[in-house]
Amino acid sequence: MQKLQGKVALVTGGSSGMGLATAKRFVEEGAFVYISGRRQLELDKAVSLIGRSVAGVQGDVSKLADLDRLYARIAGEKGKIDILFAGAGIVDPQPLAETTEESFDKVFAINTRGLAFTVKKALPLLNDGGAIIVITSIAENKGIPGFTAYSATKAAVRSFVRTWTAELKDRRIRVNAISPGPIDTPIFEQQAPTKEGADQVRAQFAAAVPFGRLGRPEEIASAALFLASDEASFVAGVDLPVDGGMSAL
Amino acid sequence: MSRLRDKIALITGGTSGIGLAAAQRFAAEGAFVYIFARRQEELGKTIASIGRNVTGVQGDVRKLEDLDQLYARIASDGRKLDVVVANVGAVNSVKLADVSLESFNQNFDTNARGVLFTVQKALPLLNNGASIILTSTIASLRGFPGRSAYAASKTALRSYARTWTMELKDRGIRVNTITPGPCDTPLIDAETKSPEEAAAVRAKHAANIPLGRMARPEEIAAAMLFLASDDSSFVAGSELLVDGGMCSV
Repeated sequence: MQKLQGKVALVTGGSSGMGLATAKRFVEEGAFVYISGRRQLELDKAVSLIGRSVAGVQGDVSKLADLDRLYARIAGEKGKIDILFAGAGIVDPQPLAETTEESFDKVFAINTRGLAFTVKKALPLLNDGGAIIVITSIAENKGIPGFTAYSATKAAVRSFVRTWTAELKDRRIRVNAISPGPIDTPIFEQQAPTKEGADQVRAQFAAAVPFGRLGRPEEIASAALFLASDEASFVAGVDLPVDGGMSAL
Repeated sequence: MSRLRDKIALITGGTSGIGLAAAQRFAAEGAFVYIFARRQEELGKTIASIGRNVTGVQGDVRKLEDLDQLYARIASDGRKLDVVVANVGAVNSVKLADVSLESFNQNFDTNARGVLFTVQKALPLLNNGASIILTSTIASLRGFPGRSAYAASKTALRSYARTWTMELKDRGIRVNTITPGPCDTPLIDAETKSPEEAAAVRAKHAANIPLGRMARPEEIAAAMLFLASDDSSFVAGSELLVDGGMCSV
């Protein structure tokens, strides 16, 4: 029995990694899924890969006009959203001593401000009783050199989940976060100039996980499915770690 | 409806409330379920009500010999365990000034010591990749008068989940706690003197919960199913709050 039959979902950051895996899983469970991303080519590939019950909308969550265009399209075509998965996020490691204004602002613009406005602008379309899932990170509770901005953006998002749980309670909208540990996605390509370098970063992170491996994007998708569905009907305001035990270290 | 197909599960304290709901759900999802509980009559009624893929073993988690007999029975049935839900709990309401050795031990013997030995003695029978679920309480996250020893004894479980995650990681065994919020069960009617009083108790709980109501046992069971199944394959050493947002706002 499909758990999301008849539902309409929006997955930002849906062209790759966790967002793509989640969009794919949601479609398998009966939802129609809008995926958004900045790069049209990647979006088209993702839509092709998923194959059915999906539409791609190009846009940058840090640009309010792009969000308006995205929601106007969904309003015109479907008239509602049941599930919002805010998966758009970037990383830009910089030691504090070398942190630039540009890098700091860029990470906050997408991960924190962009996420807040993604959710704000969804509110008129969101059905009462709907579900919002945001992506935080194990980094929010750890001290990782180079992650001044990134970790802070994610800690802010965890705070959003608390505030919005309180604000949206009369509409019975459940707001939850998934806090991934290291997951095998293209975000590693953002952390090194070459493939070999990226794989080295992957190996370093895998070694830090008690289970000795990176998580698979599908493992985030199944947690997202749980939170999006009626299976989690009494789960609200949480930050669910999906990290192979890393936060237990 | 087969998310636990071919799996063997053990639930301690599975004859009422959340444990019963979990046993029902697990059996419906294809698991064979052992229920371990103290009262033979309750066990009999539970087995009869679930009907198939379930069996009961009478015993008390405070008695090591009862646990030995439980696991000897599972072993002689030729089975190994994929899921262990340590759900048995001893609750009382005693303000600090009135705590006696007896009331203190009542909580710690079952909740802290009994759970440890329940899991310890399961170790030889656990399949690699098994899931261990420890039922905690929101009392461990908040200050509730009268719950000194109860809350502290249950807080031990959060610590166990971390320690055992690190000890059992090489076998891929996941240990997580589940923390239910106030749950609506017939116990409320049993402990109040009139329907009006029961309704008042329910309303008082609901007032503190963003979702505006108490949990149904099936909702806690659904979250346990998530932790028991492969859908949570990268979730380890964590605490899953199922409290309608109560402890997050």
